[in-house]
Amino acid sequence: MTTMVSAAEEFVPPSAPDFWQPLVGTGAFAVTRSMIVMLLVTLVLAVVMVAATRRLSVVPGRGQYYLEGVYGLVRNSIGRDIIGSAHFRPYVPLLFTLFTLILLNNLMGIVPPVQFPTMSRIGFPLALALGVYVVYLVAGVRRRGLGGFLRNLVPSGLPFWVVPVVFLLELVTFLITRPVTLTLRLFGNMFAGHILLLLFALGGEYLLLHGEGLLKLVSLPAFLMFFLFTAFEILIAFLQAYVFILLASVYIAEVYADDH
Amino acid sequence: MSALSDVTAAAEGGDGGFWEDAYPVIPHPGELIVGIISFLVLYVVYRRLVVPRLEKLLAERRKGIEGGIERAEAMQAEAKAALEQYRAQLAEARTEAAQIRDQARAEGQQILEELRAQAQEESARIVARGEEQLAANRQSVVNELRGQIGALAVDLAGRVVGESLEDDARRRGTVDRFLDQLDGMAPGTPGDGRTGSSVFVPGGDR
Amino acid sequence: MEGNLAIIGYGLSAIGPGVGIGLIFAAYVAGVARQPETRGVLQTIAILGFVLCEQLAIFGIALAFVFS
Repeated sequence: MTTMVSAAEEFVPPSAPDFWQPLVGTGAFAVTRSMIVMLLVTLVLAVVMVAATRRLSVVPGRGQYYLEGVYGLVRNSIGRDIIGSAHFRPYVPLLFTLFTLILLNNLMGIVPPVQFPTMSRIGFPLALALGVYVVYLVAGVRRRGLGGFLRNLVPSGLPFWVVPVVFLLELVTFLITRPVTLTLRLFGNMFAGHILLLLFALGGEYLLLHGEGLLKLVSLPAFLMFFLFTAFEILIAFLQAYVFILLASVYIAEVYADDH
Repeated sequence: MSALSDVTAAAEGGDGGFWEDAYPVIPHPGELIVGIISFLVLYVVYRRLVVPRLEKLLAERRKGIEGGIERAEAMQAEAKAALEQYRAQLAEARTEAAQIRDQARAEGQQILEELRAQAQEESARIVARGEEQLAANRQSVVNELRGQIGALAVDLAGRVVGESLEDDARRRGTVDRFLDQLDGMAPGTPGDGRTGSSVFVPGGDR
Repeated sequence: MEGNLAIIGYGLSAIGPGVGIGLIFAAYVAGVARQPETRGVLQTIAILGFVLCEQLAIFGIALAFVFS
């Protein structure tokens, strides 16, 4: 990142270091802006959810109606339909936690006083993906035992010389590809989306402040695009939260699928 | 957004350090730890409090709906029973009506039979009386004709033979003999009403 | 001219997923148009396919930053 002086003279496009924002201290354990957002979101979610579920009535009010809508989406459309009605119950808290946490954190990228997507720092999506990773590995080993779990990686009926290759591929998929893609997808979407927003905002600002003559007018379409992409980010925020728990359920459901 | 740049610029006033220029795909340990802790805390809260409460609500609602269904089923059963009862009554009434109808028909038949028998009897009686009357008429006609024919025949015979047969007793004897002869010539007995072939039965007498 | 070759690489890597996502949603639209009642099932499958396809582009952007 260049200094402000140079920023005033020539346009510096947003880049990865823009997301490194330590508030207290430096180094590996610095308290960063995204940490604060994350903790804030967690606190808000915990308090709001506990308060909202304190007095539930069979005939829902307005707030309870929305809460039940979200819960029903996670529980029925994803949990029950993908994992299966026999096994999904223990995983509902996990899925609901993931969904609300990711959704609210993603929305924090747009909500004005915060405007920083927590998930654009890869540590947070990695933490969530590790949670899913541990859950589906433990569930798989617990269901079939370690040997059964490993044996189940390879579909039956393959010629013997393919078995080691497939086994290796599946092992890599299970142990490496899945958590990595789960992490990178969420991170990449929020990161790229926020860079895009930064680009339109900073570019529009630069054109407005430092453009010459008619070039100042070009900042208008830039700001317009900024608004459009902000709206688009709302969609992305929801979609990524949905997709994250969708994939988590698919991975968990594989544990309970009887054949490979 | 300039605020963001300001913060960044302010933060990097000292040393940017490794983490500023690090690849964005390398997780920052502090953030990873905070992420894991937040996730676990929220998970525990959800698992202990939020999800059980929501599940309880759903179970209650399901129970309510099932209770409603049960009530509806009970009402339906009741309605069905009432319908059955009504149908049974209807069937009973129907059989009763059929019985009554059968009975009435039988009675009617009987009355008809009786009437018919009565009518037949009546007609038989009328026929018998008619026959009787006919026979009586016939007898009287025969008797009358017998007298007239006798007189005519005697008159005719007297005129033919030129001999006056004034003597009453003789004339009667002759006539009777003659008529007896006639009777003897006629086929069947003259008293029988069924034989209309006797020459003296007049067709338009009745 | 200034720039980064890695970003060109990302542009190239986005071609494949772009085509793939287009195909997935084309099939989804056709499927829903043909049988609207299967919308729910198809939606989940389409998003799953979209996600698996998109992950290649995400790899691309991550690696672009790694090698920049």
